[in-house]
Amino acid sequence: MGKIILDKMAMQRALTRITYEIVEKNKGVEDLVLIGIKTRGIFLANRIADRLQQLENVTIPVGELDITNYRDDIEHDSLSTDVKMSNNKIDFSVEGKRVILVDDVLYTGRTVRAALSAVMDLGRPKSINLAVLVDRGHRELPIRADFVGKNIPSSQKEKIKVYVSEIDDKDAVELIK
Amino acid sequence: MTQRYLILEDGSAYAGKAFGSLATTTGELVANSTMNGYQEIISNQIYHNQIIVFTQTSIGNTGLAQNAYESVLPSAKGVIVREYENLATDHFKRISLDRYLKRHKIPGIYDVDTRQIRRHLQQKGNMMASIVDVADEHAFDQLHATVLTNQQVAQVATPKPYPNPDEGANVIVVDFGLKSGILRELSKRDCNVTVVPWSATSEAILDLDPDGVVLSTGPGAPGNLPESVLQMIREVQTQVPLLGIGLGHELFAMANGAKVDQLRVEHHGSNHPIREIITNEIFFSGQEQGYAVDSKSIDHAKLFITHIDLVNGTVQGLRHRDYPAFSVQFSPDGAPGPKDSVGLFDDFTEFMARRRDNNDDEY
Repeated sequence: MGKIILDKMAMQRALTRITYEIVEKNKGVEDLVLIGIKTRGIFLANRIADRLQQLENVTIPVGELDITNYRDDIEHDSLSTDVKMSNNKIDFSVEGKRVILVDDVLYTGRTVRAALSAVMDLGRPKSINLAVLVDRGHRELPIRADFVGKNIPSSQKEKIKVYVSEIDDKDAVELIK
Repeated sequence: MTQRYLILEDGSAYAGKAFGSLATTTGELVANSTMNGYQEIISNQIYHNQIIVFTQTSIGNTGLAQNAYESVLPSAKGVIVREYENLATDHFKRISLDRYLKRHKIPGIYDVDTRQIRRHLQQKGNMMASIVDVADEHAFDQLHATVLTNQQVAQVATPKPYPNPDEGANVIVVDFGLKSGILRELSKRDCNVTVVPWSATSEAILDLDPDGVVLSTGPGAPGNLPESVLQMIREVQTQVPLLGIGLGHELFAMANGAKVDQLRVEHHGSNHPIREIITNEIFFSGQEQGYAVDSKSIDHAKLFITHIDLVNGTVQGLRHRDYPAFSVQFSPDGAPGPKDSVGLFDDFTEFMARRRDNNDDEY
């Protein structure tokens, strides 16, 4: 049993803060698109899109990115871009857009590195920002988040588990020793 | 028991029995419908120069707790209750309401139909009233001749800065007559607080190197404060995260071009549902409100409306589009009332943490 770092309310507030900060930093929502990274990042991206809808009455496109084929710990040099992209659901062009990548936990930075490559393969966005619910530190690459729900300093022996009610039984972030 | 009278500006009078001080006083009459927390209400400086009518039927039966005062020197002008009960069984009880009111020279009247007074106010609008010994012509003349100060903030806010040290974020609280609940919530989050007078300039505030600034609650009309306060807010909001509460919210709105109007009847209670627009969630909160931001006057290129009151439609929260500056009309600290929205203080500390992280990057 882990220790609850963010409960349902705190998680919702974190996403609300991130939403306001996205509007603040981008001076509005023009050309904004959200891309959620694999499982839980997608749900978080949708929740941010829901908030933008409430706030600005605009529908921001949400894409789903599967970075499995871009991971640097799997050998897949022979894969073509078409095959690498097969599991994505991004039915809009990223060309000239302000892309917000959304993930649940920022840790080594390798997932984000892979996501950046994947997005770049799709086109040339105007900018890419990173929003994460939790930043737990221990980066192995020069990557940082632009929007952070909560900084949770952790040791590498610990695990951070994010639950989202869409597929888990609750909304919570737990630290497991 | 001594008979005393509550006389109203429109010529009506209510007879009741005295408790607390026997002073003769005059103030604006306001009704509070909160079910509990009379101690927090009476000691809140937002009631400066006001006579508080409690619609809750029995007041005084819990005694006063050491840790629930909202100010040191309450400045309400009277307390009107249906039933005053000095029989407290609460384990915190050390001081009775009667003794507290005597100490602070605040008169009370009980055995009055307070819900009738509430209805009266609802029909006739805000008005002044006096607590007197005899409800004769002379008393009404005195009431009509009384002019209350419009400098309420200067009466109750601290004249000098003072620290409330801790080891966390450096927060400057601008005191417009603050309720202690604000300091309590900042203390819980380890904030190193300095409270400064309402007239502090942005220069004086920024020289204290704040991570964030809070504009406190307080009494009276925001329009009674000089333009220099709005100028201070306009300058501070561009530099550090800003949180406005109550009067602080009204001032934040005015500083960003919105208009603030007086409500026909002041709203004091914790019974209005509030909707947070961004999540569509509904919650309750302590509310002490004599003024409201005019929603039509808001420049949407500058401000978001973040919260609205579902009963009267008033604007309950704002946020700046360009800066981490936001404000709420209600009291997120509760004290008294629900603490559903206390997380706004967490939002504030998170915005301060983000700003510190970002500044670190610049070195």
